[in-house]
Amino acid sequence: MDKLRLYRLLLAARLRSQLQYRVSFALEATSSFTTPFVELIAILILFRTFPNLGGWTAGEVVFLYGLATTSLAVAEMLSSGIDQTSDLIREGNFDRILIRPVNPLLQVLATDFQLRKIGRLMQGGVALTLAQLLITPHWTLLKGLVFFSALCSTVLVFCTIFLIGAAICFWTIDRSEIQNVFVYGGTEIASNPLNIYDQRLQALFLYLIPIGLTVFYPALYILGKPDPLMLPPFMPFLAPVVALLFLSLGLLIWEFGLRHYQGTGS
Amino acid sequence: MRAYLAAARMSYWRYYTYSIATIAGVITNGFFGLLRSYVFIAFYQNRPIAAGYRLSDALTYVWLSQAMIMPLFMWGWVEIAETIRTGAIASDLTRPINYFGYWLSRDLGRAGYHTLFRWLPTMMLGIIFFRITVPTAPLTWLAYLISLLLAIILSFCLRFMINVVGFWTTDVRGISGMVLLFVNFFTGFLIPLEFFPPAARAIVLQLPFAGLVSIPNRIFLGQATGAEIFLLLGQQLGWTIVLILAAHLLLHVATRKLVVQGG
Repeated sequence: MDKLRLYRLLLAARLRSQLQYRVSFALEATSSFTTPFVELIAILILFRTFPNLGGWTAGEVVFLYGLATTSLAVAEMLSSGIDQTSDLIREGNFDRILIRPVNPLLQVLATDFQLRKIGRLMQGGVALTLAQLLITPHWTLLKGLVFFSALCSTVLVFCTIFLIGAAICFWTIDRSEIQNVFVYGGTEIASNPLNIYDQRLQALFLYLIPIGLTVFYPALYILGKPDPLMLPPFMPFLAPVVALLFLSLGLLIWEFGLRHYQGTGS
Repeated sequence: MRAYLAAARMSYWRYYTYSIATIAGVITNGFFGLLRSYVFIAFYQNRPIAAGYRLSDALTYVWLSQAMIMPLFMWGWVEIAETIRTGAIASDLTRPINYFGYWLSRDLGRAGYHTLFRWLPTMMLGIIFFRITVPTAPLTWLAYLISLLLAIILSFCLRFMINVVGFWTTDVRGISGMVLLFVNFFTGFLIPLEFFPPAARAIVLQLPFAGLVSIPNRIFLGQATGAEIFLLLGQQLGWTIVLILAAHLLLHVATRKLVVQGG
């Protein structure tokens, strides 16, 4: 409980400092809203010309998109500190973290919380609402649970990608652009029906980076669509299990990296 | 003239030193090209042609746009704004060469590097993995290269003006992020402008933003022939001149406001 209190205190200080630059904050929040917004408009424009995408209607694709975008936004906010690990290491500040009697991961988490990503979160909300209007799915209690667990699981998967990316910095120091491929490429893949992609890409984003399992399969279940990939019927319910496994893998890599961290000498 | 050439050369070699970043960048642009290609392949199922684009055209369009990302450098270029923040701008402004011309030369040097080492390899990936078609007529290539150069200058003018806003606000990241987003949309980067609803299409095709991605791509795809090519290049050139003048005007107003941050 003490640790949580500490996390809250550190983050509150962070947030206060971000809100000092009001105009800058407002603009960045707005741009984090408009980035995905134009993507959403682009999807809708294409659906004017083409009736469906791999057997999915506009509303159904917007639902996928909303689920992926909302999760990414939450994950980006939670992981903004982790994403700064490379800077901490390069500037030698990570060594300072190591000598404090608090878990390094908790401290790294608390170094930043980018509230301005709230724009993207709102955008995810807009997309989910729009999808609701376009397709009116039959909600049941179980579907609600599947939706909630899909959201949490996807957030965990994204956070884990950030965590692994940060752990790699223990060796490379610099943040790798490959991480963007998995985070934003993963979002892109999750925003479209998985069946439109090449089989190797499907496998990569189902089993290695399980974003397909946490977005695509729960969406299939909620929207009541048949599985175009013909996988076992329990797939939509695997999301939380797989996300937790993936997170454990990420934590292991982080711990392993931490033990091998030698400092930059700066 | 020699000073401008030197600035361009220096900028070219500065980017040349980051070869690992270039490889990672090509992989990233290529990966997103791959993802965007599959979306069009799925859309075009049972549909030979849409909005004047066959599937093969749409795929070439996707890879061309991915290849243009770095030559156009549309995302987050704040170099001039940085000099305002650090105060280095004071010495830049006192140089005995045209301030706009100096930065344009630097940007052309950079764009030259990015055309050779980002545009070319990205297009190669498209050719290898999606068998996209490239023009065979030398004249089409010539028209495309002129169009690409104009697109780069147009993009520079827009970025220059965004940066100059820093004379007033010091922090331009927010504005830059917002403006460039709409730019990405209206240039035809996300989807070809021909897919827009008719009323919107009529407008966006005439805006200066069309000169960044849409026009060079249409020339590359051979959608314009003969006199039409001159018309498109003329449209780009016209907007380029307008934006260069606008940039000079904005700079003129801005330098009167300039407060150099201590340093």
